[in-house]
Amino acid sequence: MTFFKSLVSALAVTAVSATAAFAGPPEQPRVLDFDAMGKTIGKRGGTLTTLMAKPKDVRWITVYGGARLVTWDQDYNLTPDILESIEVEGNRIFTLKLRKGHMWSDGQPFTTEDFRYWWEDVAQNDQLEPSGPPREMLVDGKLPKVTFIDELTVRYEWETVNPVFLTALAGASPTYIYMPAHFARQYHEKYADPAKITSLIESEKVQNWTSLHKRFTRQYRPENPDMPSLQPWTNSTKLPSERIIFKRNPNYHRVDSNGTQLPYLDEVILNMASSAIIAAKAGTGETDLQARYIRFDNYAFLKQGADKGGYNVLLWPSGRGSEMTLLPNLNTKDEGFRAAMADVRVRRALSMGIDRDEINEAIFFGLGRPQANSVLPDSPLFKQEYADAWAMRDLDKANALLDEAGFDKKDGEGFRIMPDGRPFEIIVETAGESSQETDILQLIADHWKQIAVKLFVKPSQRDILRGRVSNGETVMSTWQGLNRGLATAQMNPEELAPISPVQAQWPSYGLHYESKGSTGTAPNTPEIKRLAELYTSWRKAGDTAEQTKIWDEMLSIFTDQVYTIGVVSGGLQPVVVSNKLKNVPETAVWAFEPTLYFGQSMPDTYFMAE
Amino acid sequence: MSDDKSKSVLTGNTLTSDAVDTARTETFAADSNTPLTVDETSGAEAAAAAARMKANLPEGTQTGSPLPAEGAGALPHFVSTAPFDLQSVEQLTPEQEKIYFASQLTLMWWKFRQHRVAVWSGVFLLVLYSTIFISEFLSPWNYQTRHSKHIYVPPQGVHLFHDGEFIGPFVYDLKRKLNLETMTREYTVDESKPLKLSFFCSGDKYNWFGLIPADNHLVCAPKGAPFYLLGTDRLGRDMLSRILQGARISLTIGLIGITVSFFLGIVIGGAAGYYGSWVDMIVQRVIEVLQSIPTIPLWLTLSAIMPASWSPILIYFGITIILGLLDWTGLARAVRSKLLSLREEDYVLAAQLIGAKAPRIIGRHLVPGFMSHLIASATITIPTMILGETALSFLGLGLREPITSWGVLLNEAQSINVVAVFPWLMLPVVPVIFVIIAFNFLGDGLRDAADPYK
Repeated sequence: MTFFKSLVSALAVTAVSATAAFAGPPEQPRVLDFDAMGKTIGKRGGTLTTLMAKPKDVRWITVYGGARLVTWDQDYNLTPDILESIEVEGNRIFTLKLRKGHMWSDGQPFTTEDFRYWWEDVAQNDQLEPSGPPREMLVDGKLPKVTFIDELTVRYEWETVNPVFLTALAGASPTYIYMPAHFARQYHEKYADPAKITSLIESEKVQNWTSLHKRFTRQYRPENPDMPSLQPWTNSTKLPSERIIFKRNPNYHRVDSNGTQLPYLDEVILNMASSAIIAAKAGTGETDLQARYIRFDNYAFLKQGADKGGYNVLLWPSGRGSEMTLLPNLNTKDEGFRAAMADVRVRRALSMGIDRDEINEAIFFGLGRPQANSVLPDSPLFKQEYADAWAMRDLDKANALLDEAGFDKKDGEGFRIMPDGRPFEIIVETAGESSQETDILQLIADHWKQIAVKLFVKPSQRDILRGRVSNGETVMSTWQGLNRGLATAQMNPEELAPISPVQAQWPSYGLHYESKGSTGTAPNTPEIKRLAELYTSWRKAGDTAEQTKIWDEMLSIFTDQVYTIGVVSGGLQPVVVSNKLKNVPETAVWAFEPTLYFGQSMPDTYFMAE
Repeated sequence: MSDDKSKSVLTGNTLTSDAVDTARTETFAADSNTPLTVDETSGAEAAAAAARMKANLPEGTQTGSPLPAEGAGALPHFVSTAPFDLQSVEQLTPEQEKIYFASQLTLMWWKFRQHRVAVWSGVFLLVLYSTIFISEFLSPWNYQTRHSKHIYVPPQGVHLFHDGEFIGPFVYDLKRKLNLETMTREYTVDESKPLKLSFFCSGDKYNWFGLIPADNHLVCAPKGAPFYLLGTDRLGRDMLSRILQGARISLTIGLIGITVSFFLGIVIGGAAGYYGSWVDMIVQRVIEVLQSIPTIPLWLTLSAIMPASWSPILIYFGITIILGLLDWTGLARAVRSKLLSLREEDYVLAAQLIGAKAPRIIGRHLVPGFMSHLIASATITIPTMILGETALSFLGLGLREPITSWGVLLNEAQSINVVAVFPWLMLPVVPVIFVIIAFNFLGDGLRDAADPYK
């Protein structure tokens, strides 16, 4: 028996040293200060199981993994992560230095060639990216001057400042300015053998080589198990699958205070389950770490099974500007409703008609904060006036505003009719993903009855809803509030300005901006124009003081004009953590950005205790 | 009992089976050479009358033979002077008369009465259906009233004695504590002060059937006192009131749906069976197509068509009509096959000869012949309708708030939280189960009774 044991350990030692010969962290790894982070030194090994609902959810591993060229640290300052260092001159010239000996997960070196490949052969290839490099790379429509100084140094140089560059690199869904060149080349027209590409196009049933290249080199959504990565874990399962196994990246660039290479966990397994039963499964201890697909109202149930299931339930404060917002569509197709939604008096009245205290009490256990959709008190940009903007229930004022806006006539039942004679019935479309949303809307429907406005809820489906919103088919929809509820001045204020067609309150204005005026509608009110202007000027702002000023003005316009109607902020996200899993913080901000959900707390430091 | 007697008497007669619905066809087919004597009255009635006449002239029951003794020579011509009275030969006792002359309905009723379970199911359903006229009155609260201080209150008991003293039905106050450890609302009963319930009192305002404003309730608690016999839901709404209100929708949706499907089934099935040939062919193919479509996706599509801005009541009607539109196929088939055999009957030919039009022949002569069968099958279909509504609403595609039905209530109860922490929210399952079972028993009883001569 003893002999056997020693044989096994001897073999294990050989195995470890064998791999160490070929793999390991870069020469200058990122050493994490565990004491400062309040973490304990763990040991390698173990498997973490978590539940997800869709194969698409593999992207959360990229978010949770949290390896970025630069990242936001605990105090929301940007620090180099994958990069060894970064030099910034006047927010204009960025010199990125890579770690020596840093390798992709497949053992190939990670060098400036990977940056060059992306910049020259992908971003500027008009077949792969017909619309050119991503917006973050352009300042006034001009490309940067990119110099590949040596194997480990690359410089991006713009004529004027580009404050989005670094924040985009640190994003939850970051801008990838590099790509594993050695791997991606095999799908690139310029490098690959044409015969091989033709046969691949045929066998994969795609249109052309660009689809091939796109499909096999996705970095944010690691669907391709052969694609090398820099994240702590890399996918090893071909999708679709009911069980997706992520394996430890042997060349990961972070080490703990003792010099042990991270991540500690050997495997992360995503088990697919229907989103409706994930809470139930979590309650029986079928997951080691779970926050996605469980909600605050599951807390009592989860807590009940905590002892038996061998887990603990933490409550992490949400970092969203509002747990739910109503988004009046300013670009809705229907003329009567477009006029109504575009009228700030209507939006303010609707916001004031909501009894946020009751919603807080009934849905959020009284733990939330009734406030407008704005930044949170923990953000340095917070001002009380933003939170309070038109968020206090005042029926008289709301009624007066609606009367003034031309909605003074009532029908037989006592509900308001629009100036064109139709009933003022607002249909709120939801993605139909949580009953919490419907409950809140139910309460709001009752509240609005008192200002004689009818609300109907129409549950739909996420993708359908998106489509309907951008086609202007919705009058009002719901979504979560600002993702960057904990914004600092350095963060991109894009959520406050009409710049993207995904923004459900002004999809057409957003499209107009994104298409540089070729499609969509140009904003027609001074406030919205100003927001777009401010956004443009933020992108040119030289320093934090100027950025702060711009953020202030944008927040002030955004909340005063009530483009989105926030309900309650400060929700709590239950996090189920197995008792065996260590180094998960007791509390952290649950947000997509800037904390990348678990990402900021560094899941690579989590480990399984015996 | 009655069944046995009628059988024993009737078997002595060669033509007895005439009276029996099912066998009627054969006899008429065999007798098809006899002259037609069917008048304007319905074929079914005429046949029944003829059967009864014949039944009263049984050969074997005569007493004292009128024939002379053997070898007495030629018989003198004899003419009886007694009045010709069919009934004189055999006088039925009033008791027998009651049975032999009983109408089909009466016979059905007698037969039905023997099926005890069916009777009790019927009584149960009658009581339930009568409550829907006064749901608001029976509910202690308006079903939409939210008690934000009493969210997720478990079912509560009603007490009679306080400190050993009888003071009539009363409830105790509840003390709420927010447990921040488990994030639950904990309610403890404060037994210091009894809060007496009052009867026939004024409470929450409501509009009776959405029309007549009133505030009368059968029972109410003093102001601010908690009185939730079946607990409250996540918004603090009284479950008992919601279940009572939900009964109105859930129980009637079956009736309305069945009316639609009945109408369609009889008209379409009737046409197919009566005309046969290509009409029948088309109808049969349509039915096959309809039946081959999986029901749930079809429901989903149809209910997705209904615009969100429709009032809940319109949606309600929309759903009943959807359920009805999809459910007629089985019935149409039954009607068709029945008609296919009945249309060959002589009385149909007679009706045709005297110029009756197809709708009249189907409606007047053919359908009544198997109405009882239809009624029984309808009774069995109602639960399918109720379950259909429940299923649709459970999936969130049927009725929507603020209208409430058992399906809507169950839809709200489908999370793991409810099962584990707030099980009383699943109570609407209980009436659903009981109603479905009751309807099935009732249908069973009716089906047996529909054929009383068997």
